[in-house]
This record gives sequence, structure tokens and C-alpha cells, in this order.
Amino acid sequence: MSTDWFWIYDIPTARLALLSIALFVGVYWSGLILVRPFLRPLVRNIRAANDIVGYILSCFCVFYGLLLGLIAVTAYQNVSEAGSNVTREAAALSALYEDVSRYPEPHAQNLRWLLRDYTRYVIKYAWPLQQRGVIPQEGTIRAEAFHDKLLDFQPQTPAEEILHAEALRQLNHFLECRRMRLFSVKSALPASMWYVMLLGAFFTILLCWLFDMTFVAHLALGGVLASYLGTMMYLIVDMNQPFRGDVSITAEAFETLYARMNEE
Amino acid sequence: MPGPASPNPPRPTGLSRRRAVARAAATCAAARVLAPGLFVGCSLGIPPRARTVPVGLLHSQTGTMAISATSLRDMQLHAIERINADGGLLGCRLEARAPDPRSRAELFASRARRLLEDGAAALFGCWTSTSRKATLPVCEEFQKLLFYAVQYEGNESSACCVYGGSTPSQQLLPAIDWLTSAEGLARKKIFLLGSDYVYPRTANYIARKYLAAREQRPAGELYLPLGHRDFSMAVQQILFSGADCVLSTVNGGSNLGLFDALADAKVDAAKLPVVSTSLGEDELRGLLPGQVQGHFAVASYFQSLATEANREWIAGFRDEFGHDRVVSDPLEAGWNLVHLWKTAVERAGSFDTAALRQVFRDGLAWDGPGGPLRLDPATQHCAKAFRVGRIRADRQFDIVHSSEAQLAPDPYPQIAFPGWKCDWTDGGITRGAEVSIDGDV
Repeated sequence: MSTDWFWIYDIPTARLALLSIALFVGVYWSGLILVRPFLRPLVRNIRAANDIVGYILSCFCVFYGLLLGLIAVTAYQNVSEAGSNVTREAAALSALYEDVSRYPEPHAQNLRWLLRDYTRYVIKYAWPLQQRGVIPQEGTIRAEAFHDKLLDFQPQTPAEEILHAEALRQLNHFLECRRMRLFSVKSALPASMWYVMLLGAFFTILLCWLFDMTFVAHLALGGVLASYLGTMMYLIVDMNQPFRGDVSITAEAFETLYARMNEE
Repeated sequence: MPGPASPNPPRPTGLSRRRAVARAAATCAAARVLAPGLFVGCSLGIPPRARTVPVGLLHSQTGTMAISATSLRDMQLHAIERINADGGLLGCRLEARAPDPRSRAELFASRARRLLEDGAAALFGCWTSTSRKATLPVCEEFQKLLFYAVQYEGNESSACCVYGGSTPSQQLLPAIDWLTSAEGLARKKIFLLGSDYVYPRTANYIARKYLAAREQRPAGELYLPLGHRDFSMAVQQILFSGADCVLSTVNGGSNLGLFDALADAKVDAAKLPVVSTSLGEDELRGLLPGQVQGHFAVASYFQSLATEANREWIAGFRDEFGHDRVVSDPLEAGWNLVHLWKTAVERAGSFDTAALRQVFRDGLAWDGPGGPLRLDPATQHCAKAFRVGRIRADRQFDIVHSSEAQLAPDPYPQIAFPGWKCDWTDGGITRGAEVSIDGDV
């Protein structure tokens, strides 16, 4: 899916919500004024037109509401899963840091430096890139540098052998979590879902335009419905990209770890 | 009888569609007139983004040179972060890009090309001369500057390179003077040991010529591949030669092997000291203090330099990268080079290479942590101090000798490269006699 519209994640959350609501209400009201006169003749001569439109609308809304609900849950799960991956990666990194701290010097210091360097990179460079929807590349170099250095170590005692085996196991776990985090940078709802959602919103509004009632009541009631549609869309947009926008996963787990790594 | 009810009963009076349209149209017209005043200060709240200028950091982060080059990358990242924190450069935010050439010369060229194709304003990097020589043709093709921070062998000048490390006239030759002088170690039989690549080969060629001019010969000369770890035979050869000191141009992780072998052979640093040109605080981290204590290194800068500016600089680096980080000569040169470039860009008002070279010609200076730094307009090399450090048990150096003043750079010592000269303010390189470095061994 094109990333041309990603600038919307740079808008502060409250403004994005208002913008989304304003957009839907605006479309509803504009349509009421400009399009409804052409639609109303379609139902004007039908007896109990409002009942029929209401019946169709309620049937439609069952499906559309389900769709919106499921999509919102999926988006939330995406964010939640990406957040778990980040926490797991930070935890694995922390455990690895503890393991290599038990190595004999100078290996311990070299390995600790490399892990600190990786953590710093994640906080200072990788996170801002992720927030722009870009998968950071240079973390791989740092992870490889650590991997190479770890493999340089030749255990001399049975205790070192056990420690080294544990560190290698922890490294694999860390690399797995890291890979998951990178995958989730681009995780988002597929374009087809967006098309269906937007089409559904349009049909909902279209059906509402067909209601026969006073203009002011139409503006008020339709406005309420459109503003809620806008709120739902905002919610899904905001959760669609786990690392983008105000409601996104932060680097807090890594920041806490880095602060601890730097304690004297 | 009443007729059928109309499907559209009469509407109650109130706001009709026509009236609403009319009012909406009137509102739009009013908004159009009043908008500039009404919406002043309204925006989507998207924070403005400063224009970014990519800067390439070309340092090996894996492979044999990673032990040294990774710290240089960190220091230059630190310098770039500081510049950004202070508001950037010419209103632009610097974006450091640091690919990994994996200690392989051919990858330096391809990584440099990619960085420059992606619009890097300048490159900072390379450790070995092999990597620099692989990178420079790419910089010359793109007419971009490479800022090189490590001491090197000379015998080279490129208008596209700013050399921040010491040349042999600032490090190797003063080291020989100190080694042989009564004020220094008063040694007579120098063994030349190096890694097998451009820098050690050329540096030792210059050393041989310098010794020959003083009617001396090295006790021996030996090269082992870069990255080689087994120095046991080399140490036997040194002991067999009767040398009373070793002038080492061994680089990178190979130093671990060298000092391991010296310790295994129970070589006493007081009797057979090793004087290294490529051993700094960063490399010492990987060595056991018992193996290296008492040996020497020659450089322009040591972390133990007791000045306030130096202490502040080290503290700043440690605040960012960790309390146990160390700095060394190439790191100081790397930091200085980033700031020299910044000063030049500010003075030129442009990132353009031609404009920067004009600034170089006018002369450029910077107060670095190791002391004042001056870029020589003729050679685009830096005038540098010469210092000798004795390795302590805490992997730091006691500075046992310092030059009284900064030494002028000379990429072509006449004793080794007769007739060669470089002056970018006046015609560039003057070619002299052809010399064969390998043929002279």
C-alpha cells in the first residue's frame, strides 16, 4: 500500500480525531445539501419509505458494524502483539547482557559495549525510523557484530561452556524477537480492507440521506452518526501502524534497559 | 370521503433545504473573505521537519578492523549528534549513515559509491590505507570529500581527502629519533614488524631510508597478514635477530596475537620494548595488562592528557556511550575532522566540495580536545603534536615524551620520496623520482 498518506500520523492524536470526525460530518452534511435532492425522488413515492430505508440500514449496519468491530480488534491485536515483541526483545537483550557480563575480561567488556551500542541505536536511530514506517537497517550490523564477537570466545572451563551455551541460546531468542519487531514495523491492514470499510461508511451515509425528515433533524441525527463513523475510522487509523502516531509503541523498554546498562 | 394519505405530508416550516443552501453559500463566501484572518495560526499540528543532509560514516563494524573502527564510528556519531543538538548545519539536520564494509577493501568502494549516490555530503571513515585507497577513487569520481582520521604512511595526496591522522614525519620518524636518542630509549637495533598491507610496508620503507641516512640498518623486517593471530614464529625471529626494540606497525586484532606470543616467550618489556604506531587505548581493552604493561605507543593524543578540555570531552562521550568507554588518537582526530568540516561548511555557506576546498586554501583551525589543530592548506593534512606513551596496568598511557610544538605534515618525506611534493594552493602534486617500496625490502 502506498505510504504517501503517512503524514497523517504526524498529526497529534486529538487533532487527527477531530479531523476524522469533521471529514465524515462534512461529507454527510454536504451530501445532504447537494446529493439528497437527486436521491429523494427514488423513494418519495414509496409508502412508508422511512421504514424500508430504516430496515435496510439496520440490516446493513449489522454487517458493517461487525466488520468495523473485528477490524478494530485486529488493529488493536497488531499493536498489542508488536508491543509484546518489543518487550520480549528488551527482556532477551537484558538477559543476554547479564550472561555476557559473567564472561572473563576483556570479552565481557567488549560484548557489553556491543550490546549497549545496539540498545542505544534502537532508541536513538531505529525508533524514529520505525515511527516513519521505515525498517531500520543498521541494527542488523550491530547484532552481527555482537554475534561475531560472541563466537570469538573460546570457553576454557566447563562453567564457561555452560555460560556460553546459555548466551548463544539467549542470543537466538533475542534475534527472533528482533526479527518479529522489524516485521511489525510494516504490519498494517491490507488496502482491500480499507476499501471495504470506506465503501461501507459511504453506503451507511447514502442510506441515511434517503430518510425523509426535517432538514434540521437530518443535520443533527446524521451528524451524530457520521461523527461516530469518523471516530471509529480514527481509532482504526491510529492503531493501524503499531509504531506510528501518538498512540504507538514507545522505546520505553529499551530506554529503561539502557539506563541500567549505563549504571556505574 | 377522505382521499389516500399523501406519502409526502406537508413539511413543517423552518429551515428548508433551499434556505440552508443559500445560507451555506453565504457562509462559504464570508469564509473565503475572512479565512486569512480567521485561520491565522491554525494548522494540522504537524511539526516542521528540517531538511536533512546525509553524511556517510564508513567504518568496519565487523571483521578484523572492527575492534578499532567501531569506536571511531561512535565518536563521529557523537560529533554529528552534538551538531544536530546545537541546531544542525546551515539549517539542516545531519543524518549519519553507517553501512558496514566488513573490513574488506572491495566493500569500502561499493559502500562509498552507494552513500554518495544517495546524496552523502561527505564521507568520514576508513581505517587501513587499503580501505582508504579503495574509497578515494569513488570520492574523486563524485567530487566529494573523504575525511580520514587515522595515522598513515604518506606517499599520497588527494584533493578529495582531508587527512586528520599523523604522517610518518609526525609519528614514525620522531619515534625513531626518540627510540635511538639518549633522552629516549637509546636503542640501536630496531626490528620492523608489521601487518602485511600498504601502511606498514610504506612506513617501514620510510623507516629503512631514515635509518640508512643515519648509517643504520634495521635488525630485521617481517610482515604477517592483517588479522593474523599466531606470532610465535615472528617472536622467535625477533629474538634471534638480536634486536633491542621492535617498531610495530601491526594493526587491528593482530595485536592480541603479538602480545600473547611475546608473553608466552617471556619477553621483558624493559629489555625488548615494543613501540607501536597503531596501538591505542581502544586496542588495549582487548589485551591483558600483564602482557602489555611497559611497552610503548606513539601517537598525537592519549586519553591521559591532563587538560580541562580533554576531561570535558571524555566526560561528554562517556555520558552518551557509557562510563567505561575509552578514547584514543584516531577518535580525537575523528572528532576534530567532523568539526573541521562543520567549520568549513559554515564558513563556505555551502556543502559544495569546491567551496570547502576554497576555505581550506584560506586556512582552517579548530581547538580540539588534544590541543589546537591547524589544517595545512598546501597538503590538506593536519599539523599535529608527537607524543610517546608507556602502557600502564590500567590500560592507559603515561605520557613520557611530548613534542615542544606541533609538527608540520609532510606526506612525502624527501628522504624516501625525493622530488615529490604536494601543494594544493599551487599546482597540486609535483612528481619526483619513481620509488619501488617492495623492491627495496
